[in-house]
Amino acid sequence: MNAPGQLAVISVLALAAAGGTWLVTGPPARVLKCDPAVLKHDEVCLEQVPAGADVVWVDARPRAEWEKNGVPGSVLWNLDPTEDMSAFEAGMAARAAVSQRVIVYCGDENCGVSRQIAERIRALGLGAEVSVLHGGWRALSEAGRVRNSSPGP
Amino acid sequence: MIGSIMKFACVIGLAMMAAVHAAGLDFPQTFVEIHAPADAKKVTADFEFANRSGKPVSVRKYDAACSCMAVKIQNGKLRYAPGESGLVRTEFDMGNFSGTVDKMVALWLDDDPADKPSVKLTVRVHIPVLVTLEPKTLKWDLAGDGAPQTIRITMNDAKPIRVTAVTCSSPAFRPELKTIEEGRRYELIVTPTEVHAPGLGIFRIETDSALEKHRIQQAFAVVRKPTAGEAAAKP
Repeated sequence: MNAPGQLAVISVLALAAAGGTWLVTGPPARVLKCDPAVLKHDEVCLEQVPAGADVVWVDARPRAEWEKNGVPGSVLWNLDPTEDMSAFEAGMAARAAVSQRVIVYCGDENCGVSRQIAERIRALGLGAEVSVLHGGWRALSEAGRVRNSSPGP
Repeated sequence: MIGSIMKFACVIGLAMMAAVHAAGLDFPQTFVEIHAPADAKKVTADFEFANRSGKPVSVRKYDAACSCMAVKIQNGKLRYAPGESGLVRTEFDMGNFSGTVDKMVALWLDDDPADKPSVKLTVRVHIPVLVTLEPKTLKWDLAGDGAPQTIRITMNDAKPIRVTAVTCSSPAFRPELKTIEEGRRYELIVTPTEVHAPGLGIFRIETDSALEKHRIQQAFAVVRKPTAGEAAAKP
């Protein structure tokens, strides 16, 4: 068999295998998956936080993104040098004084800001349990838990 | 015939593996750690890279996800032929930061999906903390004994830093500043005047630090119902 013939045979076999996999396991998943068994020690899956739970949501994205589509009632705390870190601390102290759980989110799983913000909140020693949301804003968006605007802090 | 097909399949497979490996740029270092002086306003970190694949690679997009980090690719060159090398330069604006800060830069190459950049670079900057407060927050249980508690203020600079004023946002807490060693160590003794209602006090501690970002410090005092964890931890 010549080379084009061999290529055709291999392509047909590969296509058949791919089609079979599609039929058995379904189409490739495009939505974010969160497996509690493989979470980092300080992370939570969104599924573990019921809507309406007594949680202070902290948005670690830039201010413009928080204002555009943050979680309703969330507070802003990012690492933008133009922001007032003292105001972030004071706002968090006021909220954490009445809520016992704080969850920080940033853009998506590629964003490393939320863990740094969580560490800063823990360093305040307010006593609240502080976690990072696996998947960040993307997880919240896919679950329909963000709106087009956030109230200010 | 079967043997011939197997041989051909192996060749195709190896070629595909080589193509996958060749899809990116080679960065010898993707993590840079910098110890910045207390008065530094900006720090720069460079990441060298080379295209060691057999085909041209383009940097389609790069992003630092923070306005505090400027990213440039040397000479603005975004397409690299096999064997060519380049440099990503990051410049971090220290602003009011202190302590340890990680800054990430993502690079999307050729066909990278929007949520999966193939290169992630990290700059970790250690910025001296000249004034430390320990603890940062004092807590009293609601309807508890309301005994005085202390925040220790320590200056970590070669030059003395003095506390010049302390104010509290709430009359529910009475602060008293005690000098242990002028310019070096102080104690802020706080007594709640009301423990039968939840309360929050924000202390503003002013210093004469030459660096503006260390001039004002904040500490907190809270009267509240203990959390489940705190209640369980009590004897």
